Amino acid sequence: MEASSPIIEKRIVIEGIAVIGRYLPDLLQALLTNVQLLLALLAVGFAIGTVVALLQVYAGHFLGVPAFLYEWVFRSIPALVLLFLFYFGPLQFGVSIPPFFAATLALGFRSSAYQSQIFRGAIQAIPQGQMMAARSMGMSRVRAIISIILPQAFRLSLPAWSNEFSSVVKDTTLAYAVGLNEILRHARFITERYYNLAMLAYLTIALIFLVLTYSGNWSLGWLEKRLRIPGLEMAGVSGRGRNLSK
Amino acid sequence: MKRKLVISMVVLALVALVGGGGLAAAQETYTVVSDIPWPPFEMELEGEFFGFDLDVIRASAVVAGFKVDIQNCEWSILVSSVQAGAKDIGASGLTDFRERAEKVDFSNHYWLANQAVVIRKDSGLNLVSAMTGKGPTGAVGAQRATTGGWWVEDNIQAAGFNVELKQYSTYPLAILDLVAGRIDAVIQDEPASISSLTAFPDELTIAGIINTNEYFGFIVPKGDPNGLLPRINDAMVVLGVKTAMASTGVEEFEITEGSFWENLVATYFGPPIEKIEAAWSKCKNLLLSATCLEDLENYARCMADAVKE
Repeated sequence: MEASSPIIEKRIVIEGIAVIGRYLPDLLQALLTNVQLLLALLAVGFAIGTVVALLQVYAGHFLGVPAFLYEWVFRSIPALVLLFLFYFGPLQFGVSIPPFFAATLALGFRSSAYQSQIFRGAIQAIPQGQMMAARSMGMSRVRAIISIILPQAFRLSLPAWSNEFSSVVKDTTLAYAVGLNEILRHARFITERYYNLAMLAYLTIALIFLVLTYSGNWSLGWLEKRLRIPGLEMAGVSGRGRNLSK
Repeated sequence: MKRKLVISMVVLALVALVGGGGLAAAQETYTVVSDIPWPPFEMELEGEFFGFDLDVIRASAVVAGFKVDIQNCEWSILVSSVQAGAKDIGASGLTDFRERAEKVDFSNHYWLANQAVVIRKDSGLNLVSAMTGKGPTGAVGAQRATTGGWWVEDNIQAAGFNVELKQYSTYPLAILDLVAGRIDAVIQDEPASISSLTAFPDELTIAGIINTNEYFGFIVPKGDPNGLLPRINDAMVVLGVKTAMASTGVEEFEITEGSFWENLVATYFGPPIEKIEAAWSKCKNLLLSATCLEDLENYARCMADAVKE
């Protein structure tokens, strides 16, 4: 008996690329769902993450402790478990949440917990003196946070935030597990029709995500440069750099 | 004068309301979920969905006078989303068995499916040795949460045979593992198994069929809140299939000669996928624009003729 023939032959690769090409518009269409989910996740994560960070830094025990609990819970539970909890959990009680919404909540809350730590670090990097100066000029605490602290904190958090972006981009494919018709789900049209093309199909998706992550990070890098204020970079936050520039 | 105006406005509003209501009733649209692709029951070509299940549900809707919105839905959430009432109809090669029938209601049966066991040609195994773990890996593959895998658990493992059941999220993954030699056999519904052989004609073969007598039906939420089951059941009779209990106690299908049903079966069960796809490209407009039984019968005839070309 001869050894089993290799599954992937040269002929199959060439024909396979033609087949993938035919399915590419479909895959890119499905990628739109991933991008929509990405935007939803980043928005939910940003909004809740900011609030949690502020509570952790400025609030007393009454609000600070729940904020720490929230961050601890959503950073500790695996993403897939969160997805199943949010989708299949309510289903047990007859409540059907659309997969997109369930994924937005589960992965959005998770991202908010990570983002909160990015923002907390950035807020704490702003010297205490700035708050004192703002207060001595008659600003309220809230006013000072909104006008003085947060704008600087957001700028400082961009490098770390672009890391979180890269992570969340990839998380969107996890929503496949709760039935979202995103790009990985659409790859089944190829893999179940052409059994030999599983490798090529998944390589194509890998390539698409390489491009997506790269362009996202490039844009954030550009934003970082645009928003950079000479003398107020992360290195200058210690206070020394700023004093020298004055 | 003013009073007349008010009265006529009220009348107008009432007419609009009743008229609008009537119009809405005539165009009722129900959501149909299906785990696509699963040839030949569920297929996809250039963004359009077709296949035996989907053609039957579309045709039933034409006969019964409602509209369907077919949505692609992952297997793992399909039954539960119909059960919860988030979707109106499930059409996805769903076997009617007791545990599932406790969650959702089934239409009349429309297909009898048995399980086929696929093995590697060069493995030297047969149906019995492959399924009882006598092969080199001692493992059998199945799609997760399907009747094939449950059959192995209930009849092979429960009988004390030492066979490992490997479950996969989709059927093709199991087939790929079989080709790669990581498992000895894959158990799956017969039509899907046959279509997988077309991908590996030199490597794979069907070792045998296990008569599990499973019947497919369409599902709706428990209690049939939209009253769809009688309408679907009647429509299937009009389309050419009737179920009857044979003297052997097995439910059998009576198919009307020359009917939509007979031609649809001839289209989807037998010809290779490429032929079915070509037939769909040629005939699909007849189905998608169908308004009466005659249109549907023309479509099925067009399909049955096209796959022979």
